[in-house]
Amino acid sequence: MSVKRKGPKATAVRVATYALLITVAIIVLFPFVVAVSTSMKRNTDIFTYPPSLIPRTETTVTDPELGFDSATVYELPGRDGEYALVEDDVPIAEFRRLDDPEVIIARPPTDGLETDRTTVVDGDEETVYLLDVDGEEVEVFRARLTVGGLFAPLDGEGESVVELVNLATPERIFGPRFENFSEVITEKNLGRSLTNTVLVTIAVVVGQIVTSILGGYAFARIDFTGRDKLFLLYLGSVMIPFVVLIIPLFQLMLQLGWTDNLVALIIPFVFTAYGTFLMRQFFLGIPKEIEEAALIDGASRSTILWKVMVPLARPAIATLATFGFLYAWNSFFWPLVIINSGNPDNGLLTLTLATLGGRSSTDTNLVFAGAVLAMTPPILVFLFAQRYFVENSASSGLK
Amino acid sequence: MSAVTFSQVTKRYKDGPKAVDALDLEIADGEFMVLVGPSGCGKSTALRMLAGLEEITGGELSIDDQVVNDLPPGDRDIAMVFQNYALYPHMTVRENIGFALEVAKMDKNEAKRYVEDAAEMLGLTEYLDRLPKALSGGQRQRVAMGRAIVRSPKVFLMDEPLSNLDAKLRVQMRSDIIQLQARLGTTMVYVTHDQIEAMTMGHRVAVMRNGILQQVAPPQQLYLVPANLFVASFIGSPAMNLITSEVTVERGEVFVSFADHRVRLAPGAVERYPGLLERHGSEVIFGMRPEHFALAGDIDVADDQIIGVDVDLAEAMGAEVHVHTRFDIPPVSIDGEMVDPDDDAVLDGTPIIARIDGIHIVAMGEHIRLALKTHLAHFFDPADGRPLR
Amino acid sequence: MADTTVTGRESPAVGRRDRGPAAQDVQRRLPLVVLWHLGGVASAVVMMLLASRTGEEELPATIGVFLRVFAIGTFIAHAAAAFGVQQRRRWGRTASLVVSYLTFVVTIVAFVHQLDGFTAIGKLGEGLSKAFVPFLVVSVGLLWVLLAGQIATNRPTAPGPRLLRRAGWVVAAIGSAWFVVAADPSGLISVVLERIVQPVTIATLLLAAASFAATRFMWQREVGRIFGTTASTERTLTGLAFLSPNLLGFLFFFAGPVLFSLIVSFYDWKTTGTSRSFVGIDNYTQALSLDFASAPAANAGVEVLKSNYQVLMHLDWFGQNWVIGARDVTFWLSLRNITVFLVLAVPLSVLPALGLSSILASQLRGMKIFRAVYFIPSVAGVIGVAIIWGQLFQSTVGWINYLIKRAGDILPFVDAPAEGQAWLSSNSTALLAMVIVFAWMSFGFNTVLYLAGHQAIPKELYEAAEIDGARAWKIFRRITVPQLRNTTFYVLITTSILALQLFDIVWILSTPQPGGPDNATMTPVIALYNEAFKDNNRGYASALAWVLFAIIFVFTFAQFRRDREGATGGMA
Repeated sequence: MSVKRKGPKATAVRVATYALLITVAIIVLFPFVVAVSTSMKRNTDIFTYPPSLIPRTETTVTDPELGFDSATVYELPGRDGEYALVEDDVPIAEFRRLDDPEVIIARPPTDGLETDRTTVVDGDEETVYLLDVDGEEVEVFRARLTVGGLFAPLDGEGESVVELVNLATPERIFGPRFENFSEVITEKNLGRSLTNTVLVTIAVVVGQIVTSILGGYAFARIDFTGRDKLFLLYLGSVMIPFVVLIIPLFQLMLQLGWTDNLVALIIPFVFTAYGTFLMRQFFLGIPKEIEEAALIDGASRSTILWKVMVPLARPAIATLATFGFLYAWNSFFWPLVIINSGNPDNGLLTLTLATLGGRSSTDTNLVFAGAVLAMTPPILVFLFAQRYFVENSASSGLK
Repeated sequence: MSAVTFSQVTKRYKDGPKAVDALDLEIADGEFMVLVGPSGCGKSTALRMLAGLEEITGGELSIDDQVVNDLPPGDRDIAMVFQNYALYPHMTVRENIGFALEVAKMDKNEAKRYVEDAAEMLGLTEYLDRLPKALSGGQRQRVAMGRAIVRSPKVFLMDEPLSNLDAKLRVQMRSDIIQLQARLGTTMVYVTHDQIEAMTMGHRVAVMRNGILQQVAPPQQLYLVPANLFVASFIGSPAMNLITSEVTVERGEVFVSFADHRVRLAPGAVERYPGLLERHGSEVIFGMRPEHFALAGDIDVADDQIIGVDVDLAEAMGAEVHVHTRFDIPPVSIDGEMVDPDDDAVLDGTPIIARIDGIHIVAMGEHIRLALKTHLAHFFDPADGRPLR
Repeated sequence: MADTTVTGRESPAVGRRDRGPAAQDVQRRLPLVVLWHLGGVASAVVMMLLASRTGEEELPATIGVFLRVFAIGTFIAHAAAAFGVQQRRRWGRTASLVVSYLTFVVTIVAFVHQLDGFTAIGKLGEGLSKAFVPFLVVSVGLLWVLLAGQIATNRPTAPGPRLLRRAGWVVAAIGSAWFVVAADPSGLISVVLERIVQPVTIATLLLAAASFAATRFMWQREVGRIFGTTASTERTLTGLAFLSPNLLGFLFFFAGPVLFSLIVSFYDWKTTGTSRSFVGIDNYTQALSLDFASAPAANAGVEVLKSNYQVLMHLDWFGQNWVIGARDVTFWLSLRNITVFLVLAVPLSVLPALGLSSILASQLRGMKIFRAVYFIPSVAGVIGVAIIWGQLFQSTVGWINYLIKRAGDILPFVDAPAEGQAWLSSNSTALLAMVIVFAWMSFGFNTVLYLAGHQAIPKELYEAAEIDGARAWKIFRRITVPQLRNTTFYVLITTSILALQLFDIVWILSTPQPGGPDNATMTPVIALYNEAFKDNNRGYASALAWVLFAIIFVFTFAQFRRDREGATGGMA
């Protein structure tokens, strides 16, 4: 490492660099944070403005002495302390001050002394009342009669008051709602989709590994006629996008009777040109002498492959497994085509999520819970396996 | 009864060049045969054809009178030690040695005994459960050998097994291998580019060059009676000095002249090469091994067998001193090898190395007098590189 | 070296393997193989009869044709094999092996198909959902075994790992038993039992067994000797044997369908199996035709265009009004959209990656963490990601609008758009929103690709530049970027190819229907999907697919050529 410049300027550069990296990291991670928080909110909580990251629930209090039975806790405007809503649908009169008609004072209708004076508000004649506000007698008129809530002070000290419920702000505390996850699994059929996805992913990964090992070994080590031409063909197949295959493959599934069945998601994808390349490249990197020694020891090609080559190929297999997992777990286009959207039994995570989270989604919090469930395994698998393939792209030498 | 016979065996690659050209070689049962030669001479290819790792383009290869050209390596009942050992990296020493036995589905307990016997023989018992990466180079080499001997094959093949070891280890392993082969009595085919190894280890040595067998004979014979210029210059270290000389015959005495020197040949030389007498006026290649020189005072020779030279370099080797000098004549090319006219070597003349007793102290630039033991010299016909007849 | 008695023992006879039956046994059994092949010929005839007898009602046309072709092929193949083996021709053994092996594959597949074995795999989903917990137990057990195995290799002498391993197997075994019980395969078993006694099933099974035996027999070394096999023949056979699962799958699920797609693109084919008429390149012309017509006024309509053409767009060029018409307006709109998308999304996905990778390639601490973090969007899964971004872009309560507003409050020069910008439902911004999502997902992956490219830059270049006194930006511009040219090329191409196939993001995010609003987010693949599966124009959709392929191919070909021209650095 060369000698680095020291001093304030260099430090500033370094700080700026880290600041940049952290900013980008925040941009990357922020949507996931939103997702996790949304997945734990109550549905009503999601569409609040300004948006908030913290899932909250309303606090309730139960105190038999004071007569509170899971009563929601509120803060009332213009009053200190916390109140519990003990009764709903309590008749309330909405009084407004004559000198400041914007201020609303909610009182039981019996409050307020009726006078015989009247006043005109917005062209209507209104009776003037006298109201005791904080010890002062104020002239008010009664705007309307409505219903509201009866709020009792939480500490049991003081009078209960009435107030319009929508003027009261509920006390919310940090309250993640973990039931979202279980609900989305049971109610929204995500559970079945989850197991289906697990099944398909495992089958595809195992199948890909086996066929790629066999094929990769054949291409790498067995010098048979036409090998290079065949390999070119495989290479060429990578150039053809999946889009071209959709229709004929669908047709094939129809003829085989595999439509709307998970097998259509497995068997065609067990054969992968990319996986074959990967194993081929890796096998090419293993010194030839080891195989020659095994040949002289009398081992058959099959024995050599499974007993000698494969144990040495662990990094490549891990890479292949990871990519296969990510591909199968996240695949959407082909399942969309082949699985009937109405079928609750054969869905995959991606499909179910898409339907749930579509434009007409109602339980957004559940949808997000499902999305978090769907995204966690690939991220975990990636983080666990990344030491294999992020380094693998640069170095492929053995030993 | 495990003799190996190469009968006109040829290996030709698709583009044309022949790696091995019509090799005829018979290796007797229990013989330690060394294939030696410069790189690219075809020795490794010949070994690999014997192993079944290369296809034979022409000719017949037999083991014990059975033609094995098309037999896969696993069926030939041979064992091979590779230059870089080719141990299975993920298997322990025990598993490495026992792999062939496992492939043959031998009973596990029996296999265990064989493996442990082989390990004991090679001093590997305490390493049996280690992985190759935890072993030193020498230990790995012994594991490779253990893998070979545990199978009791008909033929052992070794492809430059010692070249990756340091000098001291190499010397020790050499003697280990020799003793091993003597004890087991198995036919051994050993490839090396190091002629010292060849000379010390083989019952017979086959010298190869450009795919063609030059000479096969016991080491002493290669040394004393080389079949051509190449073998003469290849065997022996430092190499034999080859000097282009003109023969003159006067009154039954033969003289050779080169550069500014004129030397009379001892009667012994003329006895061994009677053809010299017919060669008055013609050119011969006069071959003198470094040990055929001596400092003039150390042996008793006539004056016309002494030359004076200027020392370019004197290497004190301990028991002897290697004196480097040169004669101002173009060096000898070994049939067909063209010496580049622009090459500095030509301008410098023929390099000469002479061995004299180590007791002498010789300085660079000093003029000394060298005696020639001409009765030991070799003479070659410049036309074909063959010994003079 | 110690004294020992290896020489004293008998040789372990390794390498002198038991060669199997003697030559005469083999010779005697060869005629059986010939008989087998004749049997193959007979079954081909039967197949042919079956195919022609059932006619159109029983089998759809495609199957009928397929069966007929297959029958002929089988006939010829088995006849040739019979002949070759009988006459002991050199190629006889190879032919017989290939034919028997293929027959085996086909019959085994047919057998499984008869038992509904393949669809049963799908039904496994049900079993798994019932028995998920035992499945987890089995997985844990297997993972346990794996981990214990790893430890065992690193410390071969310790007995602990081996015991642990055994324990893992026990766990897996228990889990498996539980799984079978919980998954309730009774339904499956009854189906199998029912099917297995049907004649067709039994016949296929017998054929499979016979072909397996024949293959096994002919593979023997002794037979090879009789037919004069060479080492290279053996190698070819072995190589193909290893490759066969891969190759057969490749042919059946990839090469075949691709060919089929190409052929079908020349047909007008509405629904499966019924009307199919050859229309030549009509599908292609339908997709691609454009008409330019000068118009009297700025918003002239269909009347100025040829028949069958709809209005695509209006142009004002040199003062003259032009109308461009296309026969497939949706498709051309999708092309326009995807081009805009490409132009916006690709630089946004690549340039940040280039810059960030240079920072990450340095030896500062914590780079690995950042690298892993940046990669996460690429692996999380498109659907989940799209759903999240859908919420972020929400016009009223979405974070994007909120943050922009807050930024507008804090920074004076940020001119926040009016509150409630409807990102996804307004024509002008919908595509832009998707560009952002795409770039956010891709740049991490590209960063890692660039990192690999960085590793290929020789350190000495940087050292020389440092000695020459160059500063960071100059080094970046004059050394790093040029050295990364190949990687940049590769990244650009791969990102473009991905961008051209945009589907998932659009499907989730666009409202009201995929491609909305007003076709502002219609992409070629969405158009294709609609044509194929909503409107059932399979032939036409295939043609569209090939047009898209041609566009993508331009990019892949450029990459291929670049690779060939001896790229240094670049991707291995």
